[in-house]
Amino acid sequence: MNMEDLLNTQFVKLKEAMNDLFELKSAGHVLELKQSPGVLMFVALKHSNRKVKRNIKSGRDELHLQKSKVDLSRLQLQNLLYEVSHLKKEIVRCQKFKSRDTYLELLSDKEYAIKFAADGSDNANMSNHKTHLYRLECELRLRKELDNQYSALLTSKQELLQDNLKQTQKYLSFAPALRTLLESTKPLHDALQLSLDVEWKLSSIFKYLPRALYILFINLQALQRTKTEFASKVVGFESDQQMQELLLETENTLKERRHFTEKSTSIETVPDKSLDQVLKCHPLHIHLVIESPDKSFELILIVRYWQLLKCVTVRAQLNSTNNSNFQGDANMVEDLLGHLYPDDTGNYIPIPGIEYELQNLNLTTEKCLEYLVENGYGKPYCWLQSMCSIATVNKKQTFKHEFNLHKWIRKVFMRILKRWQSWLRLTQQIRGLTYKDVDLSISKENIYPEGLSCSLVQWTAISSEEFNIQNAGLIYNLSPSNGITYTSYRAVIVRGSAKMECFIRIPSNYPLDIPLWILSVHWNGRHTSMNNAAIKMMEFWTNSLQPSQLKKGNRLLYSQLFRTIYSFDIFLETEGSMQTVREYNKEKPYISTFTKRIRLRPYKYIMKGSTFTFKQ
Amino acid sequence: MKETDLKRAYNNVLAQAISTSQKFLFAGNLFGDIFVLSLNELNKATEEPPSKLKVFPQGSDVDINCLAFHRDFLIVGAIGLIYGIQWNEEDETLSTKRVWEIKIPMQVDAVEVPDVNSFYLCSETETLYAGCGDGVVYQIDLEDGRIQREYRGHTDYVHCVVGHPDGRIYSSGEDGTVHFWSDKQKEPTAILEPHKNPQLLRPDWGKWIGAVSVNDDWLVCGGGPRPAIWHLRSMECTRTFEYPGRVHVCEFVDDSVLIGGEHNHVQFYTLNGTLQANIPVEHTASYSSVWQTNPFNFMSIAGFSNKLHILKDFRFLDSKIDMYGNVQDEMEDEDQEDNDEDEGEDDSF
Repeated sequence: MNMEDLLNTQFVKLKEAMNDLFELKSAGHVLELKQSPGVLMFVALKHSNRKVKRNIKSGRDELHLQKSKVDLSRLQLQNLLYEVSHLKKEIVRCQKFKSRDTYLELLSDKEYAIKFAADGSDNANMSNHKTHLYRLECELRLRKELDNQYSALLTSKQELLQDNLKQTQKYLSFAPALRTLLESTKPLHDALQLSLDVEWKLSSIFKYLPRALYILFINLQALQRTKTEFASKVVGFESDQQMQELLLETENTLKERRHFTEKSTSIETVPDKSLDQVLKCHPLHIHLVIESPDKSFELILIVRYWQLLKCVTVRAQLNSTNNSNFQGDANMVEDLLGHLYPDDTGNYIPIPGIEYELQNLNLTTEKCLEYLVENGYGKPYCWLQSMCSIATVNKKQTFKHEFNLHKWIRKVFMRILKRWQSWLRLTQQIRGLTYKDVDLSISKENIYPEGLSCSLVQWTAISSEEFNIQNAGLIYNLSPSNGITYTSYRAVIVRGSAKMECFIRIPSNYPLDIPLWILSVHWNGRHTSMNNAAIKMMEFWTNSLQPSQLKKGNRLLYSQLFRTIYSFDIFLETEGSMQTVREYNKEKPYISTFTKRIRLRPYKYIMKGSTFTFKQ
Repeated sequence: MKETDLKRAYNNVLAQAISTSQKFLFAGNLFGDIFVLSLNELNKATEEPPSKLKVFPQGSDVDINCLAFHRDFLIVGAIGLIYGIQWNEEDETLSTKRVWEIKIPMQVDAVEVPDVNSFYLCSETETLYAGCGDGVVYQIDLEDGRIQREYRGHTDYVHCVVGHPDGRIYSSGEDGTVHFWSDKQKEPTAILEPHKNPQLLRPDWGKWIGAVSVNDDWLVCGGGPRPAIWHLRSMECTRTFEYPGRVHVCEFVDDSVLIGGEHNHVQFYTLNGTLQANIPVEHTASYSSVWQTNPFNFMSIAGFSNKLHILKDFRFLDSKIDMYGNVQDEMEDEDQEDNDEDEGEDDSF
């Protein structure tokens, strides 16, 4: 029952009792009888009241309980929310996080694979991240190792420095004693006429050499002691004082100019005549004398250094020691040096970045080069720079800096000598052919004992134009010549009524390239490689002769000539097999006249045991 | 002369073959190199330059005298030797290994190893006929590589072998004869000697017959003697051609006759002997022609020059394709960095 109802019923009952009492009182009845039940009702009321109060209390208690529960869950919720926001922040932080290792420069995959090939066997199944970590670890180890090595090296360097210092001090302490010794022995020198002074003077000159020439000179001196084929000397000025003055002067002008260019960045024009002053080679240069194999000539190389161009140039001169004639050899020396190495003709300045430096002075490399060549200072070949330890770039932009100078210089000299020898032999051969002071039939290159049926009747020099006109078809097929010039000759070979003209083109880079022969047969019309396959095969056979196939002592040009003559013999002897009157009978030993569908003739000469045969 | 220049100037292509798929052309030269050209590239209508050739060197000691293509391998005729190499159509590569090799037997009195000069491949019977330097035509079974039969009769080496699937074989040789053979008869069925015909004889150039070709009724041959058409049954010479050079190539192409050789032109004639087309070539002499009409018209003429001449309509020159200097992965400039010891350039070495 509801508390309100409970009380209400009590109140209603009480009111009824009151009303009854009032009625009775007003009626004047005796009250005692009715009073006691009324009083009892108060007790009941009190009871109800107590009950209600208890009810309220318990209700309040419950409310409190529930309330605290709600509070608790709310608190939890708050906590959770806070946690969420915190986590979100954390996520953002994580996303923004960048490991320092990304800035590290790691080993490339390849290097890594090489260096840690052994212990990285199981990383195939590792995740990407793990591999990375693993690699970082490896890297760390490697770096630590390297660091250790570095520090070890540093300490050893320190030690060496200390050592050096100690030694220097030790030697320096000798100096005063030596000086007194020198002075005291001077009379002795004079008495014995020792030439120490001269050497001192020389050394006093070459200490003024620019770095590049100095390196060259020192190396040459060293080589000179072991070999006697060449001599080198510094040419310049006699007295020390003059030299110093000169050096000072050039330094000053250099400084001035530098000063000037810094001040005036505006365009300045360098007049042509002052190119002389601007470039100005170092006043000292080196003379290098190489003797020819037969001791009749000496080749003088004059090496100059150009401060501004940072390169050295060489000019060659040929001197005859016994005044014999050497016509046509002037070009030879130039060709010799210009084609010493392929693609190194000295037609550009091979110093990296020189064109930009010259641009600042308003010069071009072409102009400078022109100046050098015009004034006879020679050309800046790459091999020469390498001899002086100057770094070069060639046309293909490959960088070269030679460090093993000793070996390189020796190599270059060997090459020059060898080339020279080849050239001398070639000129000898050409001279022999021109003046016909060779007996072809008994020459030792003449492989076939029976001799030749054809004879060489003429060997003359012709112009290149004439050569090109004659042989336009074949030249077209060849790769372009870079910087190579050619000397051409015409040879005439005759047998009976048949005549063969040979056009020979000798390249200036001989023997890198070998002479090219072009054949033309005049016999029942003109036959060349353009209209006759047999002639073309002949020509191939002559031109395919490589120097490496020659026997020792054989001459290339002679061997080529013999090949050509034999081929011509064979051609004539195999031609016209159906004619009733044959002009040329078979004289050479060969088995079959023709083979293959191309009707190849037996141009090849072979020696089987002791028998000689010609074969296809 | 540098080796590249030498090869470029004196490239002599003796043999060509087209693959079974008709997509690739093979050309072999006397330097032992086989060039492969993709025909699809040529047939494209686009203007872009055709792709480069591939080259498969067989060794400088191998003279490639003739080529044939059967199934998926290329047959090479060299000196005293016939060998097959696998052609991989997908990778477009020739295997470096020889799949099989047949040695030509040396005759008892022979002093030189005979060249394999000419192939006739009869794909119906899987038989290869090889005309060789010893004057013998060898009939080879491609199933097992056995020499089934030797056709003997020529007194000098064989220039050219052709045939017909019904068993007729024709061979021409340096001895000036064309031998007619049947696979059922031991002796030649007939012998033709064009140089005995005064109309055909050109005395300066000899009697050899460099090339022969047949169809059902007619035969064309030439060499030192003038090229001419012969009727197969009556053995009568019905028509001569005025080709001005020595003949190394003659062939029936559709309704006309192709003649080539040591002349700066190759010529097409009608069967009546009138000149149809006169095509200038760069070869000093033309030695080989291959052609197909399906899936597209294509003819390639090769010879003693560095170029293949391509004809698409058999009347006009379509293009010239360089061989050396036009090869994939070719080194333009070999490194000439020679070391100090070997300069290989001195006379006295």
